[in-house]
Amino acid sequence: MKWKQFFTPVSNITGDKARQLVAEKDPGEVVYLDVRQPKEYKISHIPGSKLIPIGELDRRLDELDPDVPTIVY
Amino acid sequence: MLSGKGFKNVYNLSGGIRAWNNEIAVGPSDLGLHLFSGKESTEETIIVGFGLEQGLREFYLDMANRVVSAEAKSLFTKLADIEILHQEHLFKLYQDITGTTVSMEDFSTGTVQPAMEGGLSTKEYLNLYNPDLESEQDILSLALSIEAQALDLYQRAADNSPDDNSRKILQQIANEERAHMKRLAHYLDTI
Repeated sequence: MKWKQFFTPVSNITGDKARQLVAEKDPGEVVYLDVRQPKEYKISHIPGSKLIPIGELDRRLDELDPDVPTIVY
Repeated sequence: MLSGKGFKNVYNLSGGIRAWNNEIAVGPSDLGLHLFSGKESTEETIIVGFGLEQGLREFYLDMANRVVSAEAKSLFTKLADIEILHQEHLFKLYQDITGTTVSMEDFSTGTVQPAMEGGLSTKEYLNLYNPDLESEQDILSLALSIEAQALDLYQRAADNSPDDNSRKILQQIANEERAHMKRLAHYLDTI
């Protein structure tokens, strides 16, 4: 088991800070990742975010770039 | 999960979508994607994008004709004019790629089918946001919502496109929508 993943810190970011981060970077250099269910995504989501439900994330990681800052919700 | 898999900068959005006090998009992840099959050439992608900008321009012009107040008329007309700038940019890209000498007007009438940005119909937008069409604030909020929806569609289409050049074009249009949203939000803050 990869114990490391349980102890790797993940920073929290507020909505305003997230928008600021997106504005500071070149477009496409920050990704909003929506890990909720498609039903929730359908009701509302952050424009331009990528939907990968949490249950599918481990087998769809190749759709994401590990070098690109990723804001998860 | 991500940080244990080599992702260097992962952030958790505090409070999730409930705490997000900004523009949102609605609809399933394939909404409007029928416009982009993913098999389009770069030229065809530009044509679809141009049609979406045309659709929105016609929507704003239609609204300008419907409203009574001079301020609302003027605002809708301004919004319609902004779409021309997007179209000019797309047409320039089309010219660069194809080397065509056709005029933008001929391109618009001969090649492009107007469609509504973001994958929702005008009626759906109006029902969804139920704006007071005589209120400048509501008009700008509606425009901001439509642009958010458009950005969302272009980004999803870019994510789905297997062709590198088409993906770049779609990403570029999405970025223009981002810039447009920023200007609208700034304008909204000033009224």
